[in-house]
Amino acid sequence: MTGRAGIANRRRPRFRRREALLLGGVAGAIACGWVSLASTVAGRPSVGDPSLLLAFLGLLAAAHAVLSLAGSRCDEVLLPVTGLLMGLSLLIMVRLPQGLVVQEFGPLELGLAPLQLTFIGLSLTAATVIAVALRSDLWLRSYKYTWAAAGIALLLLVFAFGEETNGARLTLRVGPVAGQPSELLKILLVVFLAGYLADNRALLAARVTRLGPLRLPPLPYLLPMLAMWGIALTIVVVQRDLGAALLFYAVFLVLLWVATQRLGDLALGVLLFVVGAVVLYALFPHVRERVEIWLDPFATAQGAGFQVVRGLYALGRGGVLGTGLGAGLPGVDGHPSIPAVHTDFVFDALAEELGLAGALVILALYVVLAERGLRIASAARDDFRALLAAGVTLVVVVQAAIIVAGNARLIPLTGITLPFVSYGGSSLLANGIVLGLLLSLDDTRLAAPPPAQAIGRRERLRDAAGAVAGRVERVIS
Amino acid sequence: MDPLAISLWIIRLAFLAALYAFLYLVLRALWRDLQANLRGADRPLGRLRVVASPDGIPSEGSVFALDAINTLGRDVNNTVVVDDAFASGRHAGLTYRGRSWYLEDLGSTNGTWLNGERVVAPMLLGWGDEVQVGRVRLRLDRPDVPPAIR
Amino acid sequence: MSGLPDLPALGAPPRIGPALLRVALALIVVYGAIGAGLSWWQVVEAERLTSDPGNPLLLAAEREGRRGRIVDARGVVLAESVPGGDGSWTRRYPHPEAAPILGYFSPDFGSAGLERSFAAELLGLRSLAPGGDLLRKLRRDLYDPQDVQLSLDVRLQRAAVALLRGKRGAIVAIEPASGRILALASTPSFDPNRIVDPDTGAAYFADLLDRPAEASALLDRATMGRYTPGSVLKIATAVAGLGSGAITPQTVYPEQPAEERTGFLVEGFRVRDGHHPQTGQRTLDLTGAIEVSCNIWFAHAGLDIGGERFLAWGERMGFGAAIPFDVPTAASTLDGGDGFVDDVELANAAYGQSETFVTPLQMALVAAIVADRGTLMRPHVVDELRSADGRVQTIAPEVWRRVLDAGQAETIARAMQQAVEGRLGRRFAGAAKVPGVPTAGKSGTAELGGEREPHAWFIGFAPVEAPRIAVAVIVENGGAGSASAVPMGGELMAAWLKLAP
Repeated sequence: MTGRAGIANRRRPRFRRREALLLGGVAGAIACGWVSLASTVAGRPSVGDPSLLLAFLGLLAAAHAVLSLAGSRCDEVLLPVTGLLMGLSLLIMVRLPQGLVVQEFGPLELGLAPLQLTFIGLSLTAATVIAVALRSDLWLRSYKYTWAAAGIALLLLVFAFGEETNGARLTLRVGPVAGQPSELLKILLVVFLAGYLADNRALLAARVTRLGPLRLPPLPYLLPMLAMWGIALTIVVVQRDLGAALLFYAVFLVLLWVATQRLGDLALGVLLFVVGAVVLYALFPHVRERVEIWLDPFATAQGAGFQVVRGLYALGRGGVLGTGLGAGLPGVDGHPSIPAVHTDFVFDALAEELGLAGALVILALYVVLAERGLRIASAARDDFRALLAAGVTLVVVVQAAIIVAGNARLIPLTGITLPFVSYGGSSLLANGIVLGLLLSLDDTRLAAPPPAQAIGRRERLRDAAGAVAGRVERVIS
Repeated sequence: MDPLAISLWIIRLAFLAALYAFLYLVLRALWRDLQANLRGADRPLGRLRVVASPDGIPSEGSVFALDAINTLGRDVNNTVVVDDAFASGRHAGLTYRGRSWYLEDLGSTNGTWLNGERVVAPMLLGWGDEVQVGRVRLRLDRPDVPPAIR
Repeated sequence: MSGLPDLPALGAPPRIGPALLRVALALIVVYGAIGAGLSWWQVVEAERLTSDPGNPLLLAAEREGRRGRIVDARGVVLAESVPGGDGSWTRRYPHPEAAPILGYFSPDFGSAGLERSFAAELLGLRSLAPGGDLLRKLRRDLYDPQDVQLSLDVRLQRAAVALLRGKRGAIVAIEPASGRILALASTPSFDPNRIVDPDTGAAYFADLLDRPAEASALLDRATMGRYTPGSVLKIATAVAGLGSGAITPQTVYPEQPAEERTGFLVEGFRVRDGHHPQTGQRTLDLTGAIEVSCNIWFAHAGLDIGGERFLAWGERMGFGAAIPFDVPTAASTLDGGDGFVDDVELANAAYGQSETFVTPLQMALVAAIVADRGTLMRPHVVDELRSADGRVQTIAPEVWRRVLDAGQAETIARAMQQAVEGRLGRRFAGAAKVPGVPTAGKSGTAELGGEREPHAWFIGFAPVEAPRIAVAVIVENGGAGSASAVPMGGELMAAWLKLAP
């Protein structure tokens, strides 16, 4: 064990050619967008005040430089793809009224765009540090129940001390720092699920296939599923956060299926979802309202459906080529026409100004993200890492799908952020951590997975049960 | 036709074009990775041939195709199940990293041996090297060596 | 050549790689669906969304843009933008009597009527020229305001408003062969000029909003008012009966003369009539029943038709859902929207009582169906859109539904002529007669229950052979139809035939 870290320790700086090329593409595109925006606003060819743009490009270059200098061998596509999403985010934040969010730091008063740039910096820093510095995932896999407990504690904390925004209890404030713990919670839950499923999946998968009517341990098998279902329900009831609940549950189901590959599990999960959805619909007016808005937003265009309808108008106005950055989104009496345009509805804002053409690029970027993440997962060195990589990837792309589909009225709207694009520190930080995890999981420097024995006693018990199952099976045959 | 409006639209379309150019570059990268993967997909990275096996499980002469990560041991979850009385549940790991094979001991009771040498830290090994787990000895072969010459 | 020949492959969980591939494929499908959904909104629905009256884009455009004019069928200006003091534009309405259909546009109080529903065209957010929108993006003028020409004739409109003066009610006049609206009046009404006026607007608008609902001036009674129709609905029942085959022109109910005295007992409810002194023991056929407006005959007919068929045929005439029109309309119902609970409701509905609620526009359409001998044209009031560069988009008349055979419609048309010109009919609807012109019509007196005066109704058309105008008139609480609504209908038809000989 002692020598394990020794193998790949020495690394020489290595030029990441592909990443450099793609980042060049990002820089060109964002710079072009910047000029387009500044010229539209100024009414003449202009580059405006490019300090934010340059700072952003500097951040990307720095992240690239750190990865290169550390000799990292991780994926070279992920950083540019997320970089472009962040760049689009910066453009739209610069374009929106800066007064949407204002925070004071002593004498310094920051508006929307500088704040978002700060968060982007934070996010890239987190990603780079994790990618370069993470050497072992032992602390992740060994304490999975601790992580799960931490996640649930976060949930309770929000329940107890959270502040309400837009009818959802999401924000936790500690001194001057406010954050949305559900963004972090999603990563914690994926870590737990990856650990749990990796350790028990032989058992879970073998259960029905091999021992049919015997149904080996039904409790440990059903427990996590019921727990996840319960957590999702709790989030809806307590936090009124339909988006997060849907996201957690969807990611959980997909991971469970990847681990066991039993269609029955998927069917049972979907059934539980339907039951939960019906119960929630029957019991909670806020759930019912969302569904009614979805079915006919125009019926309440001046009331509950206002936001969705305004979002659709933005889509319609955008058309195929868009209005151009800075030329869309008519303000009404100084307010942007869509409420929450910088968070939940940022996609509609981009789709209006960049048109269908631009919107499809954004969708394609998430698909690329999915491909890279799942590729990293399938090349991972053990089940835990595979499930972890797949899980964090899913968290990002499923979340994007949920909010974009909600924006486009394809499913009921649920208020969650568009990863890497929406305004918000918690969201960007959490997604930066996801990016960092994916990069480090793809790096050969990460220590080899430990043998099963090194993990906690509880897991060993499960392994023993698995072994017993094997012996029983052998006796039977 | 207003020249400013036209130039604005040229910039806007250039921006969209730049987005698509980026997308093209990314997809090209993806495509190349895919091609590379397909080329190497069918072929195992290496083979492990059983040279000696006193208990007969696995039987002598049988050959295991190797992935990038392989574990050896008595437990049924191992890639290569070595059901030998002197082997541990999870005995040894055989991994392909970068361009070379590494053998490491996973905390076995009786140790893992490479060409007769006890494996303490992960060790590099090459084609033809012999691995011993319990009393079973296995040889690392090139993937293209025809299987099983009994 | 397995490494484990004698062991079953137990315990090894399924490989993760292939599952991940499927997950990736599923994600691609999901994202593809989202892309398709976006395309739906951004390509297919884009135009409709952009010209939707609620679009904030319109609000923004309204602040800076000049709107096109609204003119009547002969080009008389009904609404136009005049420069205000500070480079802005104010709306002026030379003929405020057209207010119910025009609506108003005020930067402070929003918009209504055609000013609202045709905002996108008036502001010129869309070009009439193919590809014009693209060109407009390259030019810097964002808007291409269009003039909206109506089928309305302001002379007839003025006549209609004059007839309604001092009363609450509505008049709809329509050209049966084309569905073009000729006049659309509703009283009490408002003066859009006073809403728009920055000095008096606030007080005036507040006063308008303050009025009780039944006296509302902002409500366009012609399209949005829902009234009990009384006997004018019998024409719709006749259409449903003949169309469905439940009755024929010769249908008689032998028990009907006796029931004139005792009442027709339907599940304990007695349908009664008042024409017995004139008709005596004579059994009535369809023509006779329409001429003397026989409730008992139509109650029988309604039961013969049956609730389901009655509703289905009502739908063909436009009942049951909002009528697609150039301004919003309310839905007319035969059953209150909740089905017929029993035969009593059905029997009463067949002669226009119980839970029948209709808009004047709907009743004008019923008259127009008979007038146009069975064909229902889609009603419209906007004839043409004209852009500044002389491009014209004409909204052509369009068949909405073919409701009835020409022969069956002819029967009803002749019966309606009897109702105006016949020996017995004259007593009820004779006042609608246009001198020298064969005239068809039907009066109605909608009982409201309680102490309230009934609504007075008239629907009709002229000339009978080739109708040029069909009308629906309602005077709220106007008493018997024959007293108020009928002569108004006659005068309006006469006025039109004189104006457009």
